[in-house]
Amino acid sequence: MSITTMWKNSSEGSDRLEYLQNLVTEFQDTDNEEAKEQVLANLANFAYDPKNMEYLRELQVLDLFLDMLTEENENFVEFGIGGLCNLSVDPECRDTILHNSGISLVTNCLSSQREETVLSAITTLMNLTTPLSRAEITDPAILQCMLRFSLSESPRLRNLAGVFLQDCCAKEQVAQTEQEMHGQQTAVGIPLAEGEISATLSPSVHSLHCG
Amino acid sequence: VEGEESSSYRVYKHHEQRKVCISRPKYRDGRKDKAVKVYTINLESRYVMVQGVPAIGVMTELVQLCALYGVVEEYRPLDEYPAEEFTEVYLIKFQKLTSARAAKRNMDEKSFYGGVLHMCYVPEYESVEDTRLKLLDRRRYIMRAAQNKDRQSNMTLSQSHEMPRNDNNTGGNSNFNYYSDFTLLPLPPQEQHYHMGQQGTELREDKMGTLHNAVSNTNQQSEYNSVSQTSSENIQKNRQQRPTQNQTPMVRFVPRTTQLEKRKHRKEEAAGQTLTDLSEVNETLIGPKLPEPPKIDMEDESMNTTVCLIRNTMKRVGSVPDVKPVEKKMKPRRRI
Repeated sequence: MSITTMWKNSSEGSDRLEYLQNLVTEFQDTDNEEAKEQVLANLANFAYDPKNMEYLRELQVLDLFLDMLTEENENFVEFGIGGLCNLSVDPECRDTILHNSGISLVTNCLSSQREETVLSAITTLMNLTTPLSRAEITDPAILQCMLRFSLSESPRLRNLAGVFLQDCCAKEQVAQTEQEMHGQQTAVGIPLAEGEISATLSPSVHSLHCG
Repeated sequence: VEGEESSSYRVYKHHEQRKVCISRPKYRDGRKDKAVKVYTINLESRYVMVQGVPAIGVMTELVQLCALYGVVEEYRPLDEYPAEEFTEVYLIKFQKLTSARAAKRNMDEKSFYGGVLHMCYVPEYESVEDTRLKLLDRRRYIMRAAQNKDRQSNMTLSQSHEMPRNDNNTGGNSNFNYYSDFTLLPLPPQEQHYHMGQQGTELREDKMGTLHNAVSNTNQQSEYNSVSQTSSENIQKNRQQRPTQNQTPMVRFVPRTTQLEKRKHRKEEAAGQTLTDLSEVNETLIGPKLPEPPKIDMEDESMNTTVCLIRNTMKRVGSVPDVKPVEKKMKPRRRI
């Protein structure tokens, strides 16, 4: 079907829906991994525009993205969580994700080797924070993870983790978790300067996975 | 700086241009070859790095070019960044994310004093506060989009056709009141006759008065839909509807190639003619719905002419093939 015939004589909204539908269909019908990646990335990018969010919800693309988070293919995971990162700002999308055990799926992405995946996961968690979900999102395990990230060599990771800790968590929570962590770390025999983690600690901090 | 190690500078993966994807099926194959990449708010930034600047002392010109897309808060050469021979690398900090987007879209891969510029966002230069504000802006923008959608759907309850959402695609900058800081040129009267017009002009126009119009704006979005340029542009170039009062049916979606031809045709037509109103039906609706702005009149025909000429020139400067040309004004141009 050519794009010209697709857009002719139709209202814009249904065109958009139809096009997005085609993408979803292609993703489901093809076995070609490369094609799937392209379509997935396409959908994730479309998810950035608020105009498309409603349609993507309708087409259950949220479920699709969530499914991708448990895939072996790291590109699938990265694009999936990227799509969720884009969509989760929308309140309705956010609620849908929350109702589908989104928090635990997204949290698992924090352990990824890929920085983009981790960054998208942190942002998504922030977007998913509501008065009801806050408790689950500021689980000590996640907090510890974020504290480690806030010491990362990567500025983006540091910044995002920093915003998470400042905006999603109560100060006392963070302080408490910090204390617990210090306890663990000094137990390993690494001296800590006041309020500082020494540079030599960073590599081992990096290697610690959370969740 | 003396003694500073340049070898310790880390080249981030997201700065590199990825290999282009060559295997896309036609229906979602864009005009420009793009790599497979997903854009999120984390990849964008008002900090932009420009590589490939010929080392012939054109920093000022570069910054001036960037400033066409919005206020530049800071800029400096990045001596520590690895650069190709005879080229320099610069860091540009825009005041707004929307400006950075526009600049990246318009300047990337363009030739500049004999070199080819490569623009990329460099969010690693952000402070924690920068990042927070960026995320906050994005959230506000989406919230407003959701509110507008609700408002619209309430309004059109009795209507049979669907209304497109009045949102721009900037995604990151929700404070459209920046317009009040605009000191350069007043809005041209009757530039656009529909909703998108008002806020479109407001939004698309940053401090330099450069109009990245409907199309540009949607093209900003299409940047993120890097996998499929055509499809995203087709969808994103929200062919605008008329003002709600008229309740005219949706304008049909015009595919990209057709638009280019139309534009070319229009350019030829327009050459040497008086300014006529093209009644462009294919405007993208962007930004929240606002009441029509007062028609600004300089109360002097020659002033109006000047205003118009300057605006058109600036738009032309900032325009690229995939940017939609600005509406010609209704007022006849005074022949000099």
